[in-house]
Order: sequence, then structure tokens, then C-alpha cells
Amino acid sequence: MAVEAEKITPPETAQGFLGRPRPGLVTTGLLAPPVLWLVVFFLVPVVLIFLYSVNVFAFFPGTQGFSLDAWENFLDGSPFLDLFWKSIRMSLIVSVVSIVAAYPIAYYLALVASKRKYVLLLLILAPFLVSYFLRILAWKVILGDQGVVNSFLFWTGIRAEGDPVSWLLYSQFTVILTLIYVYVPFVALPIFVSLESLDRRLLEAAADLGASRWQAFRKVTLPLSLPGVIAAFIFVFIPTIGEYFTPLLVGGVDGTMFGNAIADQFGQSLNWLNGSVLSFFLLAVVAVLMGVFARFLTVRRVATG
Amino acid sequence: MAAPLMDIAVSRNGRRVLNVWFAVLLVFLYTPLALLLVFSFNDNNLPVFPLRGFTTDAYEAFAANEELRGSVVTSAKVASVSSLLAVLLGLFAAIVLVRRHIVGKAAASALLLSPLVVPYIALAIALLVFFNEASVSTGLSTIVMGHVVLSIPYTILILVPRLERLDVRLEEASRDLGAGALQTFRLITFPLILPALVSAYLVAFVLSFDEIVVASFIAGDATTFPLYLFSQLRFPTLLPQVIAVACIVMAASVLVLVGAEIARRVAERKLLGEQAAQPAP
Repeated sequence: MAVEAEKITPPETAQGFLGRPRPGLVTTGLLAPPVLWLVVFFLVPVVLIFLYSVNVFAFFPGTQGFSLDAWENFLDGSPFLDLFWKSIRMSLIVSVVSIVAAYPIAYYLALVASKRKYVLLLLILAPFLVSYFLRILAWKVILGDQGVVNSFLFWTGIRAEGDPVSWLLYSQFTVILTLIYVYVPFVALPIFVSLESLDRRLLEAAADLGASRWQAFRKVTLPLSLPGVIAAFIFVFIPTIGEYFTPLLVGGVDGTMFGNAIADQFGQSLNWLNGSVLSFFLLAVVAVLMGVFARFLTVRRVATG
Repeated sequence: MAAPLMDIAVSRNGRRVLNVWFAVLLVFLYTPLALLLVFSFNDNNLPVFPLRGFTTDAYEAFAANEELRGSVVTSAKVASVSSLLAVLLGLFAAIVLVRRHIVGKAAASALLLSPLVVPYIALAIALLVFFNEASVSTGLSTIVMGHVVLSIPYTILILVPRLERLDVRLEEASRDLGAGALQTFRLITFPLILPALVSAYLVAFVLSFDEIVVASFIAGDATTFPLYLFSQLRFPTLLPQVIAVACIVMAASVLVLVGAEIARRVAERKLLGEQAAQPAP
């Protein structure tokens, strides 16, 4: 019966409840609302930002007129450009440390922990359920001059009262530590997924052929888990470049990042022209990075068959 | 089959090292949260050692603080509306992405998923400028619009795999038996993907409830829960109260998500059981 039915129906792609492909209305009707929503509330605003950045639109009426001055000022060694590179550097540190810390965990869960692995994975991921704000606040409470660490040091007499370790809070160090804290579980997940899909027989084959554990790891496991590592890198590096809230809460002056400069241009400084340049630049950098990573991932997929 | 002479993945010492590292990471992840919990019950307005004694003052103060409760209600409103919209729009998109071959599919899915990697600050600024240019006064509704943008990719990523795993023959059988597209969706597809719809809704809800960057730029006069918490940080004596509320919300969201996950598993198991009970053709 089933076989006959399959013969009668032409072997086309599954259409499900929509029925046979009928070009036009239904598909358009379904796709239009979500796409339009993103066009109106995402693409149009981004285009608007670009128009502001070249002064076609301006905050103060009457001052508009196409000009690349703001872009030239920004790219010609402005302090904002330095801040951008500082943010990139901080994001890189966060990404690399998170991956180095999370890789052994993912490896442990995927290849060593066997039966308990999903429970343990859940344990690693659970902090994600805790509000982002709260997780950052926790570090503020811990690292402040009056915080947990310092009051503990006073209490035990390791450090004299009134002489706290002050670099703990409001520094680049704090921002980097807090971001690592926030992103480690996020990093572990894609690496775990790629390691879990690893065919263990490849490792056994490597062992049969005389490879040591280290060699098997370097030549088999590590290369095969690279897509997971790259995915993890993307999902930490890209959002942290534009990080705004963490530096605002625990960064102080030293820990300020590019995102804070953008916010400041639209807030206190009220310089929408400059702010739009910074904002659009950030979006462009992210778009380019995504393009590069996407290409890298597909090339790898083709190369590994 | 030869007996496994050695585990190629890890040596005995390696296993020990990994065990220790795992424990270290757990301590790193949970100590800050545990400390927050401890200090929310500590009888002191400042979160400092030594601990002074157990009190539930902070929790009682929260119950009495109307502004604070108001902000929780505001956030709940924003989150319930924005996640409903995000699930609806995500469902539309997921259906087309899974079931249709159309020109420009790659572009459409790139657009729909792009909010995943867009820095929130850039989106927040873009929306601020956009609403200003469109003379839309900011408030609850504008936060909803922004949060839907942020949530759509998550709902799509949850719904697409579920639709892909769905046995389309069930739907096609329904069509063959004369049911229309809508009827088939209502009677066959919808019940089957309901658990995925619920998890998509919850994920979007939590995302919106917790979101602060976009909200802080387009909130207008509205004060969402995270915005309220943030505004209270300027007063250090309110810190235990802020921590207390945050702990309550943390407990609530853990309960909701764990409950939803259990419900989803039960529903899927029941479904699988029903399928297995059908005689094979």
C-alpha cells in the first residue's frame, strides 16, 4: 500500500500541510510578516544610521548635507578608533580564555563522562537561566572595595582595613573576568556538540595504527572539533566587541569599551553624527567578520566532505 | 572484538585532571550566585564579611516596594506580548524555510537570523534613531517591537528542527483525505509542534524579561524590571533588596524552564508511545 502510494505521488520534496507547491500567495503570505518586521525594525533603522553617519540626516534640523567628514575624523586616528582596537583586544582575550577553559570540559563531557554527560552538561549550562544582570551584579558585589573579597581580606587581617585591593573592580581585568564568566557555558555547548558527533572508531583506528593518545588528539579529535571551536569563537567574539552593559557596570574608566562610546555619543555628548559613524562601523565590522567566518566554515565542510 | 586495552580518549591521569578542572569550573560558575543568595539573607545593608545573622528583611522589603513590583508587571507585559509575536512570526518563517523552495531563501534566512550576531547596542541605537525620525514616542510598545526582532531568530532555530523531524506523511494523508491546509494545520501540525512552540515562547519570554540594553534606549517613561534594578544600584543600601528580588526571579525562571522541559519530554514520550503502538504497515 504505502509503496504504491509513493509511486503515485511524484517524488517531490515534502510540502506537508501546505500541499503541492503552488507558487505565490501562501508562501508570500507566510514569509512576508517576519521579513517585513525585520526590514522595518532592523534594516531600515540600520540604513537610517548610515544616512546619519554621512550627514544626510541630522539631529539638528537645517544642518544636514552629505559629508564624509565624520568618517574621516573617525578613521584618521581618533581616540574612538583606539578604543575600538582595545575592545577587539579585550574580546580576543575573552574568547581565547573561554575556549581554552571550556574545551577540556566539552571533551570531558563528550568523550569521558559517558552516561552522566547530559546531566553534567545541564549543570554547566544552568547559570544561563540566571539573569544576565544578576550574574554581572554578583561580580560587583564580590570585587568591590567593600566587597566580598576585600571584606574577607580585612576580616582575616591579610589586608589592613581601609587598604582594599582596588584594581579588582572597575578595571579591564574585571570586565574580562566577568565576560569570561558569562560566556564560558555558551562556549562549551558548540564544542560539546562537535565532539559528541565524533566517530569514536576513528580514535580506535588511530590507536590500532600505533598513535599515542596525544597524537590521536592532535591529528584526529582536534581537527574534527574545529567547526565547534569556530562556532564558539563567533558567538563570543562578535557580541563582546559591542559589549555595553558589562563595562558600564564593572568597567569604570579603565574598562570602557567601544559600545560605551557609542552610547555616550547618543546620550551625554548628544553627537548623533559621530555616534552613527561608530555604530555603523561596528555593524560593518560584524558583517565582514560573519562573512569571513561563514566562508571559512563552508570551505571546511567541503574540504572534509 | 578485542577487549579494549586502553581508552584512547583519556588516560587515567588525564581523567583525574579533567575531573579536577570540571570541579574548578563548577566552583567558578556557582560561587558568585551562592554568595548572592547568602548575602540576600544576611542581616546587613552591605554585602560584606563577616556575616551578621539570618534575616528575610530584604524579601519583605521587596514585597512592600510597589515601584519594584510594578516594574516586574511591566516586564511581564512586554515579555508576554513580544514573545507571542516572535513565536507567531518565527512559525511563519520556519514553515516557509522548511517546506518551501523559494528564490532568495538564503537571503531571507540570513536576514531573519542576523539579530543573533548584531551587537545589541547597535540595534538599540538604530531603533532609537528610527523611532525618533518616525516621530513614534518610545514606551512599552517600542520595547516590544525591539524585543521581537531579538527573539525571532531563537524561535526560528527552535521550530525549524521540530518541523524537519515531523513526519510529513501525516500531513499529506490529511490532505489526501480532503482536509484543507488550515484544517490540516489545526488538527495535525499544530498539536505535533505544540511542545516546540511552548519552548520557543518561553525562551523568547525569558530573553525579553531579562533584556536591558535595547530597553534602556527605547523605554521612554516605562521602567522594565532590569531597568528598575539598574536604577537602584546607585543606592548601595538597596543592594540586598535588589539581590533578593533577583533571587526570586532566578528561582522562578529556573522552575518555569525546568517545568517546561519536563512537560515537553513527557509530551514527546507520549507521542512516541502512540506512534510505536500503531501497527506497522
